[in-house]
This record gives sequence, C-alpha cells and structure tokens, in this order.
Amino acid sequence: MESFQPEVTLLYCRQCLASGAKPVEGRRAGEGFSARLVVLPCSSKVQLPHLMRLLQAGSDAVQIAACPEKACQHLVGSNRAENRVKYGQDLLETVGMGAGRLGLERGAGLSLDDLLELAGRRAEAVRALGPNPMKGV
Amino acid sequence: MSLKAGTKLEKVLAAGQFALTAEIGPPRGPDTEEVLKKAEILKGMADAYNVTDNQTAVVRMSSIAGSKLLLDAGLEPVAQMTCRDRNRIAMQSDLLGAAALGLKNILAISGDHQQAGASGKLKGHPGAKGVYDVDSIQLINIIKNMRDDGVQAGGDTLSAKPAFFIGAAWTPLGPPVEFRVLRLAKKVAAGADFIQTQAVYDIKAFGEQLKKAVDMGLTEKTAILPGIIVPRSAGMLRYMHNNVPGVVVPDELIARMKDAADPAAEGLKVTVELIEQVKELDGVKGVHLQAIEAEELLPDIIKQAGLSPRPEV
Amino acid sequence: MITAEWKPIEEMVGYLRGHRKVLLIGCATCVAECAAGGEREVETLAPLLAMAMQNDGNPIEIVSATLERQCEPEFVASIAEQAAEAEAIVSVSCGIGMQLVADTYADTPLYPGVNTTSLSIREEPGLWTSRCAACGDCVLGLTFGLCPVARCAKSLMNGPCGGTRENGMCEINEDTPCIWRLIVERATARGQLESLVEVKPPKNWSNSPAGGPKRMLREDLRS
Repeated sequence: MESFQPEVTLLYCRQCLASGAKPVEGRRAGEGFSARLVVLPCSSKVQLPHLMRLLQAGSDAVQIAACPEKACQHLVGSNRAENRVKYGQDLLETVGMGAGRLGLERGAGLSLDDLLELAGRRAEAVRALGPNPMKGV
Repeated sequence: MSLKAGTKLEKVLAAGQFALTAEIGPPRGPDTEEVLKKAEILKGMADAYNVTDNQTAVVRMSSIAGSKLLLDAGLEPVAQMTCRDRNRIAMQSDLLGAAALGLKNILAISGDHQQAGASGKLKGHPGAKGVYDVDSIQLINIIKNMRDDGVQAGGDTLSAKPAFFIGAAWTPLGPPVEFRVLRLAKKVAAGADFIQTQAVYDIKAFGEQLKKAVDMGLTEKTAILPGIIVPRSAGMLRYMHNNVPGVVVPDELIARMKDAADPAAEGLKVTVELIEQVKELDGVKGVHLQAIEAEELLPDIIKQAGLSPRPEV
Repeated sequence: MITAEWKPIEEMVGYLRGHRKVLLIGCATCVAECAAGGEREVETLAPLLAMAMQNDGNPIEIVSATLERQCEPEFVASIAEQAAEAEAIVSVSCGIGMQLVADTYADTPLYPGVNTTSLSIREEPGLWTSRCAACGDCVLGLTFGLCPVARCAKSLMNGPCGGTRENGMCEINEDTPCIWRLIVERATARGQLESLVEVKPPKNWSNSPAGGPKRMLREDLRS
C-alpha cells in the first residue's frame, strides 16, 4: 500500500478563497497524493449524480470545500451540500466503496496550500480503503 | 325483566348487584392446564372472566377455545373478539361457533395493532396484514343484528338467533378527550350492553368523563365497569402512565408506591381503595379487575374489597 | 403522487448478477416528485449500481434513461433501441410504469429498483405522508376532508381507538398524528362535532384492491 498515491478530486466553493486569491483549477501534486481542483460558484452546486460519476470514473476520493456554516452566500447552500454528502456516504458504504471516499470540510480565507491540505486529509481517509476498484474499468 | 342472553354477568347487573369481571390471558401454546390452573385460582371469585384475543398481537390460544375451557371448568367467560385478524365473514362465523359452544358474553374491540404488539419482549408478527374490515363499533352492531334480528351483516338471515350479551371497551381519558364520551355513545347506540374501561387510576378525571355519560343517559342503557389493573410497583405505574395510551396515573399514586416498604402489599391496598372509590361513582355498575400474569393476587383483593362471595343469581 | 422507495441495493445486485449490460430507467412524474426515480435518482443509482456490481465481482455496463411518463406507451416506445441492446432492464418508476415496460419489452427481464409504497403528499421537503388508499368508496365528505382509511393505522370509521397518545399522535408511530384527533378538531372548529356521532356502517370494500383487479370501462371513450 506504500505506493498507493490517492487521486483526490477537490470541489471547492470559490467563496472559500482568501480575498484576492485567484481560483486555481487542474492537477496539483501533494505529499503522497495528487489532487484535481475544480472551482464551484457555491458548494450547493454539488449534486449526487456528479459525486457518484466522479467515483465511478476512478477518482479515489472526492472532497468538497464549503464555506463556514453561517457564511454561505446562499444561506443554506453549504448545509444542503453537507446533507447530500452524508446521504452519499451512506450509499457508498452500502455498495462496498466505503463512506470515506466522500467528504466535506468547511473553511474560509483559504490559500492554494490550504486547499491542498483539505485534499490531503481526504487522501489520508481513503489510504486504508485502497485504490478505487473502478479505476481503469 | 327479559334478558338478552341470560348470562350470569347479565343477571348480576339486572339484579342491580355490583358486578365483578376479571381477566384470564390464554397461553402461548395448546396447554390446557395453564388455563385450568388460572381457572382454579379464580373460580367463584368473579361473575365472568374475559379471555383475551391475541392481546398485544402475540399469537396465543384462541379466545373462543380458551373461553370454552373456562366454561367447562365452571367459570363464565367473556370471549374477546378483535377486528385485527378477521374479516366480517370470519367474525360472524366464529360468533355462531361461539354461540354453539355456549359462549354468550362477547367483548368487541379494535384490538392492538400488529405493529404495536409484542410488548417489546416478544417478536410478534409486525409483518402481518392487518384486516380491520370492520371496526369495533360496526362489530358491536353486527352482533346485535345477529342476536335481535337473526340477520347477517350482508343481509342474509340466520337459521337461528344467537343469544349474546355484548360488551365494548372505553378509553375515557384518551385524546381527543372531548370525543371519548361521544364514542361511548356510539358504542351504546350500536348495541353495547356493558362496557369495560381502560385502567382507571385518576378517579377525579374518570369521574368527570363518567358524569358526562350519566348526563347523556348512557349509564341507563349500558353497564359501565371501570378497569383496574393491580399496581405492583411505582415503575409499573410510571410505565403505564408514559407508555399505555389513555392510562393516566396521578403523581401522588406513583409516589405512594415508591415510598411503600412493601410495594406488592401496597398495590393490593391501592387496588382495594380504587374499587371502593369507583363504587361510589354514580353510573358505575361493577369493576373489571386485571392482574396481568399474576392472577393469584386477585382472590385476596376481592375478599378485602368485600366482593366475595359473589351473588347467586 | 404515487410514492416509491429504492429497494436495498443488495437486492438489486442479486437480480443483476450474470447480466453484463443493463438499462436503468426512471420516470419524470410521480417518482421524481418523491425523489426515488427521477433523472437525479437515476443518474445517482447508475454509477452506484456499477460500483456495487464491480465490488460484487460482476462488472456491468449500465445505460440510463429517464422517461417523461413511464406509464404511457409513446414514451416507453422511445427506448426501444436501448432496450434491444440490454440484457435486462431495471426500472425505478412505480409498479404501473414497470409493468408497461415489461409488457412492451416482454423478452427482456425487468427488475424493480423500487418498492411502490403509497399515495402520498409531500408534506415538507424530504417528508411524504399518506393521503389516499384508493379504497374506491370515498368518505372525505363525512370526515371533514381527512381520510381515516389511509391515515388511521386501523382504518377505523367511527372515531379513534384507545391508542391515541397523550400528545395526540398515533400509538404505532409517534410522528404520525391520530387522524381521528384531527377529524374531531376540525369538526369542533366547524361546530359540527355532532355529525361524527352517527354510527357509520361497515364499508363496502368491493371497489378497492380487496375487490380484485380493477377494470374501469367507459364506453363513450372507446373507439
């Protein structure tokens, strides 16, 4: 398992970024994992079909970065995202993928390094689960 | 005075005597000795004995079979019949069968829902299909029409009229409380000759509901027997208050049981006092005593309450 | 609406073992409203099923489609091509839509992805509750617009049983109101409580599912 380098898809709300920071997209290498960053106008834009398709397509994990609970520009958008993630985690558990392949964390004023740290935390969560069995299918 | 079925219970009530009924739950098996053992303990102590119909939706020996065992042992049964498990065809057929076996007191009730059953300890049959073709009030009326007019619910005639003394249940303190006395009125209008109530501990609240029934003239048309379940501990009373719908137990009573040095003995004392209190209420014609799975407690209580021996009628 | 709920995915996996290509179809009408079989649910379930089958050791290809109405032949006809290529079809519409699909593509096995459960209303976001039991003998005119057939656990017609909790909820589900309590409250508010005192006779169930399969015929509409 030492050689397992989790590929994490990080979907982040652009409002989480530090003011003035430019949204970053695309692949970035982290310590023992790689991340693909995708910017969202709001975390509430994540829908279960997207999350499941990302995992079906072979992503080892999907991490969502949302604004702090009271700071959502759409008031309850990040809470809705959180509820969907919880529901999705249960579904992933029932199909034998492991709930840990999906997660949501909140943050504000984030830098690129902070985003990578969030992706890294999700990578650690799936390290024990091993590579996504859908990889290469 | 003309009697409807001529049962001992009916005669005691007709004679203006204070009636006493008790309950015998059939076993979860075919063992007749279980029933006969309880019968032996209670024989002569009450005027009639309710035999429950798969109470808490747990399968037990049928009420009709249990009733027949009691009858043969010299005890007069009240066969309970719920609407949960049979449609109107099966119920009327069983009623004719009951009448053929000499069972004449019938208590018609909705019955515990199959998913509310098993009292938490047993599995029951929560996946069973509940029938509820007719409700308890409709069943009362079906029995009355069989008896009085010799006609089935579907309109066909019976070859002979069965003699029944028809009972119904009443939960006087269940919400919506303002409707409970009207529901009692419906049962009386449908044909209920006697009423056994949900367990009563709050005499004041029960008295208020009963007063409405008296004012409506219902107690002239039906005989109300308040239910009393022998309390055995403060925990049991608290459980009933919190978990059995329609059972209201005053805090003082729970405290009294809690403070008692010997809760079992205190429970007997409480029961005797409750009997004496309901006896004083206008419109009460008797009492329905239950000591769930502890029937051996009843003889002492009945003697202490001065209700033994039972009147000869 | 007709409501449905996903079957356990494990049960779907049991059906699909041995198939390599499956068509998953939803319906954009009732089951979309109750979040069981609309496009969103179909597109969530398709990848989930693929992952479940992969983990079960039976990899499978899943093609998905959501029909406007799975109970209308013209919409069901629109998936003829995908159906012809599939070894099996999983439907997450109600049992009505499922059977039209099974009839239309009778050579292809049809498996249910949902259990059809009730005729309900969306009472709040994420909460659906029974309103109708299709009993075929509507009593709403006697019960102040609240149905005791669908909403009383015992379908009582003459008032509440003894199982109403102190807080007015049903004995068998603490989150379901005793419908007779609500009927009594509404009758009281209208000053018509007396109307509930009349004894309602046994109901005629012959026009309900208990009376056998329905066959409703209107000669004037037949060509």
